[in-house]
Amino acid sequence: MRLLASLLLTASLAVAGMSRHIASYDIQATLNHKAHTITGSETLTWWNDSPDTVSTLQFHLYMNAFRNTRSTFFKESGGQLRGDQFKGDEWGWVEVKKMRLASGADLTSSLRFIHPDDDNAEDRTVIEVPLPQPVKPGETIQVSIDFETKLPKVFARTGFRQDFYLVGQWFPKIGVWETAGFRFSTQGAWNCHQFHANSEFFANFGRYDVQLTVPANMVIGATGEQTKRVENVSNKTTTYSFHQEDVTDFAWTVQPTYVRVERMFEAAKETTAAEIAHEAKLQGIPEDDVRLSDVKMIVLIQPEHREQIERTFHATRTALKHFGLWYGRYPYKTITVVDPPYGAGGAGGMEYPTFITAGTSWRLPPESKTLEEVTVHEFGHQFWMQLVATNEFEESPLDEGFNTYSTSLIMDKVYGGMGQLPLTLFGINLSGFFHLPRINDLSMDRAAFLSGPVDDDLLRKSWQYYDGQSYAINSYMRMGVTLDTLERVAGHDTMARIMRTYHQRFRFHHPTARDFVKVANEVSGQNLDWFFNQFFFGNRLLDYRIGAVSSVQRLTPMGRFEKGAGFQVTTRKEADKVDDANDGNKSFKKEYLDTVRIQRHGDAVVPVGITIRFKDGSEEKRQWDGEYRWVKYTFLRSSEIESVHVDPDRKYRLDVSFANNSWVSKYQVETSTHWSASIIFWLQNFMLLITSIA
Amino acid sequence: MTILQAISNAARRVNSRKRMLVLYWFTQSLLAALAALPLLGIAVPMLAHSGYASELLKQFDVMFLVEALQSLSGAGGMLASIYPLIIFITMTAGVFLAGGAVKLIVHDATVYSPREFWSGCGEYFWRFLRLMIYSLFFYAIASALSGGVRKAADRLWGEGLEGAPLVMAGWAANALLILLCGVISTAMDYAKVRLVTDGSRKSLRACLGSLRLVLSNPRVLGAWLILAVLWILFTLLYQPLANSIPATKMPLIVLLAIWQQLYVLARVWLRFLSWGTAAEFDPVLRPPLLPSEEFVPTPAAVVTEDFAI
Repeated sequence: MRLLASLLLTASLAVAGMSRHIASYDIQATLNHKAHTITGSETLTWWNDSPDTVSTLQFHLYMNAFRNTRSTFFKESGGQLRGDQFKGDEWGWVEVKKMRLASGADLTSSLRFIHPDDDNAEDRTVIEVPLPQPVKPGETIQVSIDFETKLPKVFARTGFRQDFYLVGQWFPKIGVWETAGFRFSTQGAWNCHQFHANSEFFANFGRYDVQLTVPANMVIGATGEQTKRVENVSNKTTTYSFHQEDVTDFAWTVQPTYVRVERMFEAAKETTAAEIAHEAKLQGIPEDDVRLSDVKMIVLIQPEHREQIERTFHATRTALKHFGLWYGRYPYKTITVVDPPYGAGGAGGMEYPTFITAGTSWRLPPESKTLEEVTVHEFGHQFWMQLVATNEFEESPLDEGFNTYSTSLIMDKVYGGMGQLPLTLFGINLSGFFHLPRINDLSMDRAAFLSGPVDDDLLRKSWQYYDGQSYAINSYMRMGVTLDTLERVAGHDTMARIMRTYHQRFRFHHPTARDFVKVANEVSGQNLDWFFNQFFFGNRLLDYRIGAVSSVQRLTPMGRFEKGAGFQVTTRKEADKVDDANDGNKSFKKEYLDTVRIQRHGDAVVPVGITIRFKDGSEEKRQWDGEYRWVKYTFLRSSEIESVHVDPDRKYRLDVSFANNSWVSKYQVETSTHWSASIIFWLQNFMLLITSIA
Repeated sequence: MTILQAISNAARRVNSRKRMLVLYWFTQSLLAALAALPLLGIAVPMLAHSGYASELLKQFDVMFLVEALQSLSGAGGMLASIYPLIIFITMTAGVFLAGGAVKLIVHDATVYSPREFWSGCGEYFWRFLRLMIYSLFFYAIASALSGGVRKAADRLWGEGLEGAPLVMAGWAANALLILLCGVISTAMDYAKVRLVTDGSRKSLRACLGSLRLVLSNPRVLGAWLILAVLWILFTLLYQPLANSIPATKMPLIVLLAIWQQLYVLARVWLRFLSWGTAAEFDPVLRPPLLPSEEFVPTPAAVVTEDFAI
C-alpha cells in the first residue's frame, strides 16, 4: 500500500507536464573555444516508473563514437557519413570525470564500458554502473556527473568549424529502462544501444534546465526557451539559461556571425476558419482541438544566406501549420532553425527537440526547393521522433519514413514538389531555359524506392541493414511509399484519421510499428493485416502485369456437327466461303473472342482492379484477389480490346513497374518517335562537341 | 585580314559546299541513330504497348528512369560496356568525317563529289587521329590548370565559413577551363587545316605549330569567340521554340524533330565555319616556310662503282 501511494505521488509529480518526466537534467556547461571542449556537470533525476527493481544504470556516451577509428561507428562508417568525410585529427570524445549519487556515494570507480550490440570491446559509447542500492519501483534517483566533452570537427551531426559550434549528443545520457511488455521487452532491461553509423537516438521524456557559458561575442540558439542571460564581464563570457519540459534531448549552437531573426507564428493569422472547420469535420473532433497555438520562430542564418531568411520562415510557418492541422498542434513555445555555414554540412539536416538544423547554399535559385524541403522535413521530426518518440535505433522507418511521407505531402501541396532539376552555369539557373522537368516529392520517393525495393526488410535494427544506402531507402523512401500506398488503399480521409489518431494516442509515448497497425485497423474499421504483414513486416515484391491480350475473330466453325437426328459436315472450303461472304457484308456483325491474361510477377498478393476497354467504347471491370500467379478473362463481344489496365487508379505505389500495368492495342508511335528523335538529337550534339574539341 | 573578313570568306567557302554539309549531317545522324539503339532498345519495348507511354510523353517522370534501369538487372553491365565502345566509335567517326570536310573546305577549288569527300576521310584519318590523341595531353594540362585554381581557392578559403568565395573561384576555374579548351580546340582546327594544306603527315609538328600560332595571334581567338557567340545565339533561338512545342501529337513531334535537325545542321555549319576560318587565316598568319633546299642532281662523274649496289 505504501509502495502504491509512493508510486502515485511520484507519478503525479513526474507527470506535471505533458509527458512522464522519466529522465530530467540540470546541466551547467562551459565552452572552451580554444580547446573546443565543454566542461560540464549534470544532475540527472531518473524516475523508475516500472514495476522492476533496477540495480544498474546505463548511459550513452555518444561523443566517443568519434574517439578513434576503432569505435563501432567508425568501423561501420569508415569515417564517412551522409557525404561527409571525417578528416584531420580533431577527434571527439566525452570523459566522465566523476559520478556520484545524491547520497554522496561515488560511482566513478565502478563505471565500465559495455557493448550490447556487437563484440567490439574498443567501443566506448555505452557505460554501465552498478548501484550500491537498487532503485525500487516508483523511486527516483539523482546522479551527479562531471564530464568533459571534446568536440570533433563537424562530422555526423555535431562538432565545430572555426567559431561555429553545433553541439549535439554531448553529455552523458541515460538509456531507457524497458519493463516487460514495454515495446518488445519480455523482461526488464536497459535499452541503451551503441552509437552506430546508421542509427539515431532513443530517450525518455524529461525536463531540461541547462546553463551554457560561452564567449560573450557568440550568438546562441538551443533547445527550449531562454530564461536568463548573465554577462560575466571578468572573463568576457555570457551564461545563458534554457528551460524546456517534455523533451527527449538538448542541443545547442553558437557562432558570432549568425544573423538572428525572430518572428511569431500567429496561429489565428496562419489558418483560416474554413481550414479549421474542414479538419475538424474530417477528424470528427471539435474545432477547438484543431486550432493551433502561437509559436516563436527563431532563425539563425549565415550572413551570406541573408536573402533566404524569408524562404526559411515561410517553410517553417508552412510546416507548423500543416503538421499542426493534420496531426495536432505543436505544443512547444519555440522552434529554432539553424543554418550551418559552408563546410559544416555534416551538422545540417538534423533534428533535436524544438531545435533543427537545415542547410542551404549561396545564391540558391528560387526554382530549387531544397531549403524548403530540408526545413519542412527537419521540422516534421518534432512530430515523428520527438512527440511520437519511436526508437530510432530499432525502427528507424517509424520516424524517417513517416516524416518522409508527411514532408512529401506538404511539399507537393505547397511548393509543387522539390522543383526543377538544378542546372546552373556561372550562377545562372538554366533549368527553366532547358525546360527540365519538375519533380514532385512523392514521385522522387518512389524513384528512390525502386532502386532497391526489397533488398532488405523494411523494419530492422538500423545498423543491420545491408549498407548505408539500404538503410536510407528503407528508413526514408520505402516507408514513405508504403504509407502513400496505404493512403490509396484505405482512402485519403481514413488515412488522415489514422495518422492523427496514431499521433495523438502516442504523443509523448514510445510506440512500435505494431501500435500503428492496431490504430490503422481500428480507425479504418478494416483488417489491414494483409497489407502490413506483407509490406511492414514482410518483404514482398509487388508487381502485377498484363500478360497476353488477344482479340480473335470468331469464324465459321468447321468439321462435323450434330444436326437434328443426324450430322452435318462443314468443310474448310465451305467455311472459308461463308467467312469471305461475311467479310464483304457490311451489315454482318463480327464477333471476337477477347482474352486477357494478368500475371502476378512478384510474391506480394493484393486485390487488384482490372479495367478492360473495347474499341466500341464499352468497358468491363473486374476485381481479382491476385492470389494465383495469373488470371484469365475472356469475353465474346462485337469489338476488339482497345486497352487493359491493372490497378488503373495506381493505388499500389509499391508496384515496381507502372510500365507493365497497362496494355494498349495501338502502338505508341508518338512516344517512340519523340524519344527516338530526342535521343538521336542529343547524341548528335554530343558528337559535334567531340568533333569540336578533338 | 580582319576577323570578320576571315569569317565572311569562310562562310562563302562553306556555302559552296552545301551538298557536303548535307552528307556530313546525314552520316553523322546515322551514327547517332546507331549509338541510340541500345537506349531505345530498353525504352521502346517497355512502352511500345503501354498506356504509361502517353503519360510520359506529356511529362517525363523520373520514376520511369529508375524503373527502366532496374528492369535491366543483368543487362546493366552489358550496357555499361557498350557505351564506352559507342563513345569511342562516335569519336573515331567524328575524326574520320573531319578529314573529308576539312579537305574540301581547304581545297575550295576542288569540285565536290561524295567520292572526293570519302577519299579525304580516308586520307587524313590517321593524321587526325594522332592529332586527337596529342590533343588529350593539352586538355589534361588545361584540366590540371583549372584544378589548380580550385585547389588554390580551397587552400585560401576552404576552411572558411563562407561558400561564396569558393563558388566564385569555381566559376573562375570553369571560365579558365572553357578558355583553354577553346584555345586547344582552335589549335586543333588549325592543325587539321595545316596538315591538309601542307599535305604533311607530321601531326605533332602541326599541333605544336598551330598552338603557337593561336597563342600568338589574338585574331584567331577573336574569331573563336565570335563563333562561340554565334553558337550561343543559335541555342537561344532554338531552345525557347523547342520548349514551346507541345510534342504530344504526331505533327508537332515531327515539327520538333525538324527543328532539332535544323539546329544540328546549324551546328554542323558552324563547325565547317571554324575550319573555313582556319583555312582563311592559316596562310596569312603562318610564318612563311623556309624555301626547301634546292635539289642538286649529283653529277654522273661522281657516281662510282661503290654506290652501284
